[in-house]
Amino acid sequence: MNVLCAILSLLLSLTSVSWAGEQNGLPPWDPNDSTALYDATRVLEEEVKLAARPQTYILIDLTTNAILIKGRGIELHRIPIDNWSASHLSELAVAYRLRERPPVNRRKLDPLGGTEQDPISLADMPTTFALHFSPPMTILVRSSNEGHPWQWATQRGREWWRRLTAWSLTLWTGEKPPSLPSLDLTISSDHAQSLAWTVTESMPFLIHRTTRP
Amino acid sequence: MQRIVLSLWSGLICLLLLSLVQSSGIPVSDASSAPPSPIDPALLQTLQARYKALAKQLTQLMPRQPYILVDTARNHLYVKRADQVMLDALASTGSGTILDKPGDSKGQWIFDTPRGEFSVQSRLTNPVWVKPDWAFIEEGLEVPKTQADRIEPGVLGEYALGFGKGYFIHGTLYTRLLGKNVTHGCIRLNDDDLKSVYNLAKVGTPIMIF
Repeated sequence: MNVLCAILSLLLSLTSVSWAGEQNGLPPWDPNDSTALYDATRVLEEEVKLAARPQTYILIDLTTNAILIKGRGIELHRIPIDNWSASHLSELAVAYRLRERPPVNRRKLDPLGGTEQDPISLADMPTTFALHFSPPMTILVRSSNEGHPWQWATQRGREWWRRLTAWSLTLWTGEKPPSLPSLDLTISSDHAQSLAWTVTESMPFLIHRTTRP
Repeated sequence: MQRIVLSLWSGLICLLLLSLVQSSGIPVSDASSAPPSPIDPALLQTLQARYKALAKQLTQLMPRQPYILVDTARNHLYVKRADQVMLDALASTGSGTILDKPGDSKGQWIFDTPRGEFSVQSRLTNPVWVKPDWAFIEEGLEVPKTQADRIEPGVLGEYALGFGKGYFIHGTLYTRLLGKNVTHGCIRLNDDDLKSVYNLAKVGTPIMIF
């Protein structure tokens, strides 16, 4: 009986080693949690499709709190997420395409002006911005180290206004507004600028959601 | 009237409370309230097998040979093989500025380094620069009528790696500008780094630019 137990334990440990080996480290979620495994498999299915084509894509991994810029399955760059919140997370699809990149104030060259124009750099990129996707979904990126109460108040004000108008509309018409999923990401201002720099129009985004509270 | 004002106030208070919860740093999600599904061992096994198969498939898509990685935000070019960094070079990439096309009210050039995945399409030694229209217009000059008037040797360094649509990884005379976004979309390196990249890259070597 003891021998049988030992063999079983050995087999179990071998299984976990092979899992870990294939994943290059243990997955951040429980491989025996069918919901987490189902979500991870759905993301991986979409990623395999994207990685098969010559393009870069972004994986927002809420299980590891990271935004990964990837190509061919390789992690090209990692941006840590300080904090996140979501509404209608259960309605979140796995794959999205960015409708347009955040606006950039590009300098125009004037051949006759004779003055040299400064190039754009990371410092020109916004630290707070919204990304809109197809199918409809919004990601609001905020900077964690802005520390400006005015900006905080403006963002909150906008959010309240959005909710108030939706609520008033419901009250007025009796119809519930469409529940669109949205994601709020808080990252450092450097990383927010880096993300705004990196994203391009129609860039594919994958979202690996988490069921953890 | 009083009832409307009261409901408006209570709505506002609810919004304020919800907003404070969201800003408290606790991930708020709808899915967290979903009951955990019962574990079906057979389903779990199927899912695990599927996950492993997909993970293997993804690994097979990763380049086996060295690849070039360009970080346009920080102006660095790396040559990597798997996780190993074979070369880390300071580069200059696209300035992001714009130039209007004369005679075309809507047309303009945007001097960005393209982002995405490309591959080395050509390997040149002692390349010459065939100046495009924008190079003349930018300087307030007339665009020449003959090809010969566009050729400028000695400005691209000893080597150039083409990756499509006129974009190259090449050398520069302006090494003091390395680390800055100053180019018209090409990727500039100093002579030593350019030689290393040229020796490591073959036609077909993947170039990932972000």
